[in-house]
Amino acid sequence: MAATEQPAKLAPTPQQPFFSAGNPMLKRFDETSAASRKPTPVPVGSPVPAVTPPYGVSGIGNKVAKPDYSEAKIVLAMVGLPARGKSYLSNKLMRYLKWLEYDVKVFNVGQLRRSRAREKAKKSGIKEAHTSEYFSYNNEQATKIRDQLAEDSLEMLIQWLKDGGNVDATNSTVSRRQKISARVSREPGIKVIFLESICTDQAIIDSNVALKVSSGDPDYAHMSREEAKTDFLRRIAEYERVYETINDKIETRSSYLKITDVGREVTLAHIHGYLQSRIAFYLMNLHIKPRSIFFSRHGESQFNVEGKIGGDSPLSERGMQYANALPALITDNIGDAPLTVRVPLLSSPLHRNSEMIVLYLFTRKVWTSTLQRTIQTAHYLPYPKLTWKSLDELDAGVCDGMTYDEIEEKYPEDFEARDDDKFNYRYRGGESYRDVVVRLEPVIMELERQENILIVGHQAILRCLYAYFHDLPPADLPYIKIPLHTVIKLTPKAYGCDEERYTLPIGAVDTHRPKPHMSKQPDRPASTSGREYYGETK
Amino acid sequence: MAAPLYTTASGLLFHAGKILVLTVGLPARGKTHVSRALERYLRWLGVRTLVVSLGDYRRKILGSAQQIPSDYFTLGEKSEKTKRFRASVSEGCERQIWRFFEEQNGQVVIYDANNGTRAARQALAGKFDKKGIHVIFLESVCTNEEIIEANIRSVKISSPDYRGWDPERAVEDYYRRIRDHEKYYEPVTETNWPFIRIFNVGEKIEVNEIKGYLQSRIIFFLMNIHNKFRTIYFARSGQSLIEHSYKADSDLSPAGWEYAHRLKDFVLERRAKALEARSMNPAERKLVIWTSARRRAHHTAWPFVTHAATYGPSAAPTPSLMHSNPASRLATPLLAAVANAALSAQQPPPLNLPEAETIEKALQRKLGKDGATSPQQKTIGLPPASPNLLSVQAPGEASTQKRLFSSVKVIEKQQMSEINPGVWDGLSPERAQALYPEEWARFLRDPYAFRAPRAESYHDLCVRLEPILIELEREQEDLLIIGHASVIRCLLAYLIGLPASEIPAIEVARGDLLEVRPASYGVHSSAYHFWDGPGRRGSSSGGGSGVAKGLGLGPDTGRGKSKSRAGSLDPTGKAREGSKQHAANAKAGSEWWAASETAKAANASDRPDIASVGGTEGAGGFGGAFGEAIASDGESDDEYRGPVNIEQENAEDGGSESDGSANFYENVAEDTRGKRKIDVEYFAGL
Repeated sequence: MAATEQPAKLAPTPQQPFFSAGNPMLKRFDETSAASRKPTPVPVGSPVPAVTPPYGVSGIGNKVAKPDYSEAKIVLAMVGLPARGKSYLSNKLMRYLKWLEYDVKVFNVGQLRRSRAREKAKKSGIKEAHTSEYFSYNNEQATKIRDQLAEDSLEMLIQWLKDGGNVDATNSTVSRRQKISARVSREPGIKVIFLESICTDQAIIDSNVALKVSSGDPDYAHMSREEAKTDFLRRIAEYERVYETINDKIETRSSYLKITDVGREVTLAHIHGYLQSRIAFYLMNLHIKPRSIFFSRHGESQFNVEGKIGGDSPLSERGMQYANALPALITDNIGDAPLTVRVPLLSSPLHRNSEMIVLYLFTRKVWTSTLQRTIQTAHYLPYPKLTWKSLDELDAGVCDGMTYDEIEEKYPEDFEARDDDKFNYRYRGGESYRDVVVRLEPVIMELERQENILIVGHQAILRCLYAYFHDLPPADLPYIKIPLHTVIKLTPKAYGCDEERYTLPIGAVDTHRPKPHMSKQPDRPASTSGREYYGETK
Repeated sequence: MAAPLYTTASGLLFHAGKILVLTVGLPARGKTHVSRALERYLRWLGVRTLVVSLGDYRRKILGSAQQIPSDYFTLGEKSEKTKRFRASVSEGCERQIWRFFEEQNGQVVIYDANNGTRAARQALAGKFDKKGIHVIFLESVCTNEEIIEANIRSVKISSPDYRGWDPERAVEDYYRRIRDHEKYYEPVTETNWPFIRIFNVGEKIEVNEIKGYLQSRIIFFLMNIHNKFRTIYFARSGQSLIEHSYKADSDLSPAGWEYAHRLKDFVLERRAKALEARSMNPAERKLVIWTSARRRAHHTAWPFVTHAATYGPSAAPTPSLMHSNPASRLATPLLAAVANAALSAQQPPPLNLPEAETIEKALQRKLGKDGATSPQQKTIGLPPASPNLLSVQAPGEASTQKRLFSSVKVIEKQQMSEINPGVWDGLSPERAQALYPEEWARFLRDPYAFRAPRAESYHDLCVRLEPILIELEREQEDLLIIGHASVIRCLLAYLIGLPASEIPAIEVARGDLLEVRPASYGVHSSAYHFWDGPGRRGSSSGGGSGVAKGLGLGPDTGRGKSKSRAGSLDPTGKAREGSKQHAANAKAGSEWWAASETAKAANASDRPDIASVGGTEGAGGFGGAFGEAIASDGESDDEYRGPVNIEQENAEDGGSESDGSANFYENVAEDTRGKRKIDVEYFAGL
């Protein structure tokens, strides 16, 4: 057999696989197989028109177009009393869907109200007081204005959807819902789902109220905290008087999701379609227990030192130092009882069966990839570990094991094309950043279920995860700085994540490659956990 | 992230305790459908799950409906005999449940019974709860009469109860059964137990006190299932220029393109026949095609696109229609763009065969092997006289083609790439064994779980495919999956309910169309052979046209009965007869550029790493599992038999096709009808 015969001159070694951009065979193959990139052979005189097959493969990769999401247009209308976490849910969902490259926009009636009032104040000098009086249903004039606002908001939203957006969220209460349904049903191809957030836990409501009052809500900018709180509670009371939960009997044909205490209980009705069920599943997986997520890249590896990408090399000496120092960094600097094993009890105290439901997976509080550099890095951590294939580094395909300089030298044009659109560039036989995002989606779902957790990962992987938590756009994603020998601590808050970084004083090479010919590099975002009042600042 | 999860010493994967799911619902509400689907999914997740069906158990004891005492299904006064029967049936079922929990280390039992009265189900739940088993009610509610009627007609009267009955009488009898139950039926309104209520098979779901990982997975799954009629087809992608390399991600070879055309013709024809037999119009149903993002899979779908663009209502036979945009039906921008480009092209290009030949020649020139110009080489690739290709595209066939039109939507699924061979990419088994002896030994011990350096194991692949499974359940249109052997294996194992350990040994030959039809009592599956060209593994003999092949997947074949074709593997890893032929063929070489014996011999010394995986594999008696892990996809286990073989092959093909062209598909259908239905007992007996 061929395999037993001895290799001659071109014999590739395991380190230098045959189909590698570093091996001249790849170019030769491309040159000689150009024929398959020509049109499909069709006999002359056949009725089949000339149809060009999809273009063939050459070089080290190509740009891959974004999948078509145009079929899914959804209006997600929020239902619920104030301080029930509606904005939290819509915000979270927006980040998730944007990360998956859906176009999402939140339309907030409160924001429209404030910006209109501001305009009015500018024009006429009259300043409207948006105190609880304004929200009273006895105040007929104000009620009318607010209805008008809601309708305007809906119109803006539909216009935006028609222009190509995907998903929206807007605030709504009462059986204004039927109006919304009626309006949206006139638009073909747009579906409305109501998302009702119910809170039975007074502690959650109280903390939401406190957050609202202290977060610099423009409505309360001129009030003391106490005043603001009193007023806000009164506002809630005004809503409560007329609030109607989604009623199956009346709204028989509505699609809805009812979420009680963020994921404790969920009711779903008429949820059809891929995106809808994804949304529902995502919301089912959320929890709001305080926790932090720690990211660390592996320690410096041999390949890092040599400037090579990919591979499965062991840690360098400095990388080993980092692995040794990591446990102390985690226990000294970060929290009092980090990465403890959670023993979640079966749901609420109501539940009769207090049996433990701990997924085997849940007890593994350090996640690594299957590559030895992350496993070595996590080796000394005194916590249970889990290796995930899905956390492996972006597969550089034929460029695996090469240095950027080598690639640039051999494939200068391809190299430029990748720099041009790094997120969409798929290495031949490998992956693009988008591919990695798709691969990581189940990881995000799992991550949302976790409490404190440390992920020892790779540059591209952590960039993708980081972008999810910080809501960074795909174009910036491949340039996020995730330095070696640094632990990033993300603490999810109501409207984003707080971030702290701990860098160990162990030298390491810089593997960040800034985008060429770009003046401004996206930098690490400032803390994004403050409540965003849409349109207030920008 | 879910998939067959990690096995633990206890065999229990979730520390979720033991769960008993009690189905609640009137007859013909889809309880069995939901139970079986859930069982399939949980088993695939690695959870030891069993459906205990009261109906099946009763049938076992009492026989079919004719033997049942007339008062059996009424809940009023009964004769002593009937009472005894009923008690013994439910006791028997409960015994089964206990046995599974206690002796067989089971984790989830789905008790498929009516449980229609509150008192009865509360008592049952209490009994199990006392022993520490977590009870969930799963109520299936149908408010839509049409669904019920359809369910009765399509499922119930073909159930074992009514074997040999007149259909109308059976329907009537069944309605009587439902009416009797309705009098006493109490929907689940009590909230002292966790419950899931499914309305109209997934239209709406109501959930009470359901918490925990496994449970939320169950709900997500239930949100996505349906019981509408549809067919799922599987076929492998065509042969590519470099079969052995995962990284090369190469284009289809000329033979691969021909395969793609044949696949298109066969699928459309087969589907049209099947649909017309059910009085459905294939043109009114969309055919959804999923491919991986790998080029050879994507390209294999291409003829479907051109066919739809050519014969569809919005096709562009005349220039005036060229501005219409059939490409808008295409899911990926890439395809849409190319289709647009295609429609604006004015002239069909000339038959481009010589170019196929130059691939080989040119490369050999590059390699300094210019001299090898045996006459055979000229015929490599698309044989110009291939009767198959020409008959398809002859002008007279246009009306047939039009009849077969189906609107097509091609979706590229990035998760469906073949298993990544890691450092073994491009290696022959010998080479891999020589370079990685320890890994090789471990691989032999557990081909499912073993992960070569930087590679994916089958387990990894299953994890990656989980989102695809959910979408597979959700899809309502007919679906053609053009994929890679490894991916098809995993998906089939899920659909048919095979244990994970058997996945690597499932045979998926290029040139077979696998057809799977979900039904309440399992799935019906059959395989149709349509291609014998180069790139088909072990296709040396005239196994050829008109012979239907079993999937090699049923409860019987899965257990080692030799039903699959030559050169395949049974689960125990023994080579079957036929490997000799295979070995003989292997001599012809499998390197993609090896156009002839001479060329191959000359090249072999240069390219030891891309040795003839298919050939050596056959010789060694290794089946798909091995080729699979070594080279990218088990596509690698194909051999390229050289031009002489191709010509012969095609001649044979053409001959048999033209002989029985009218009856060809019919014969196949005849041979397989009803044979591959998976027996209910197979599920229940595990």
